[in-house]
Amino acid sequence: MRTFIQRAAAAAVLALIAASLGGCMAVRAADRGYLADPIMEREDHFAKQTLAQKFFSSREGSLGGASGIGGGCGCAK
Amino acid sequence: MSCRHRSPRRAALLLLPAALAVAVSPLFAGEGEMGFTNYYFTDSGANKVVTTSFNLARKLLEQTTLLLDIELDHVTVPPITAVTGASRPQRDKSQPFEKSRGQVILGMEQGIGQNLTLSASFYRSQEVDYISNSAVGTISLDMFRKNTTLTLRGQYNADKVGKILESGDVFNQNKFVFTGAAYLTQVLSPTTVVDFAYDIVRLKGLLSDPYLQVGVIDDAGGTVLVDELHPDNRTRHAGTARISQFIPSIRASLIGSYRYYWDTWKVKSHTAEMKLNKYITSDLIFSVDYRYYTQTGSWFYEPEYIGTGYTTSLYRTVDYKLTPFASNNFGLSLSFMLRALGSPGSDFEFLENSSLELTYFRYFNTLDFSADIVQFAVKFSI
Repeated sequence: MRTFIQRAAAAAVLALIAASLGGCMAVRAADRGYLADPIMEREDHFAKQTLAQKFFSSREGSLGGASGIGGGCGCAK
Repeated sequence: MSCRHRSPRRAALLLLPAALAVAVSPLFAGEGEMGFTNYYFTDSGANKVVTTSFNLARKLLEQTTLLLDIELDHVTVPPITAVTGASRPQRDKSQPFEKSRGQVILGMEQGIGQNLTLSASFYRSQEVDYISNSAVGTISLDMFRKNTTLTLRGQYNADKVGKILESGDVFNQNKFVFTGAAYLTQVLSPTTVVDFAYDIVRLKGLLSDPYLQVGVIDDAGGTVLVDELHPDNRTRHAGTARISQFIPSIRASLIGSYRYYWDTWKVKSHTAEMKLNKYITSDLIFSVDYRYYTQTGSWFYEPEYIGTGYTTSLYRTVDYKLTPFASNNFGLSLSFMLRALGSPGSDFEFLENSSLELTYFRYFNTLDFSADIVQFAVKFSI
């Protein structure tokens, strides 16, 4: 069962990548107004951990897969 | 070395970034962005953290941006007699343990031509029993008329992991972290964008918690308390896929992500998250977020350690982060955009891209641990 889930997840990621490549050069800059809206959360001036990343990285055994620098946490781990 | 601070000092520390924000804002009038964030955290183990931070991104030249981030934490860990899994010194164990942490990130972002951006940052974090220094370099390349962005990042950390002894002295040991990461962002349509990320993190040095102790049942049947002992190296991998969809008909966005993690300690995890952002009015955004997480335990985790070997060289842990568990996290957020108050040409024009945000998280896991987090953030364009 676990193998099936892992394969399904891998297939989904590959499908997304394939879809991404298919979408190359599809959207002009003038048509990206919605993507720049604040609710799309595209802003990332600071490559530091967000509050959520900081919290989860000090409470759970896994780390990575998202932007964010850190070390030391002051998090009462 | 004293680890406790009186309230006035704590208040001063926590207000410092806010004072800095007010003080430096006239100096940085022009194009840029400034933010002030405060958050409060408490959990079922009676641990408390209050954090305040100030950040600034200021365009110095046409393609040159200065990045500055200052963050201060104040941490309170309950007495050891309380029911808690917290990590803290044995010293003054009948009293709450309090400490402060300061963090500074200073960086520069440089655009080269229309499609290439380089950035370099230096990071330092310091608390009484932990010091971290880090250098980060990033290359970001826009391709296919900026429909695709590829970002590569490298980071090196040199940390000192301290242990406060009964005498009050701090005993430090080294930890080194090397990180490599690649991110790919692809615009799929005027309303859809996807992100993929892969990180590899290599750690060396002291990787156990210097304060946590394991109860070992020795060959004579007695229980002996010994320090945790983890392997001194670990390699972590994580891959993430994220899709962000704008829904014009209801002025909302839906953001979904999945992350798979594995490492050389045999910890594996799955994380799935879904977030909905919705305009309630043209200036008020409501967000709801759910995150599910599950992980396996490390290869050397055991519910009980039996045998004298565990008092010497065999690996042992009581760190719950290395045990199998699952967690749920719910988040609610309200963001108020101040653009209605900042019409162009008015004295409050700087509010045009400014906002206030209030966020609440509720976290709980299958180990009977729960936490509440409240965050208040103010963001200004300057």
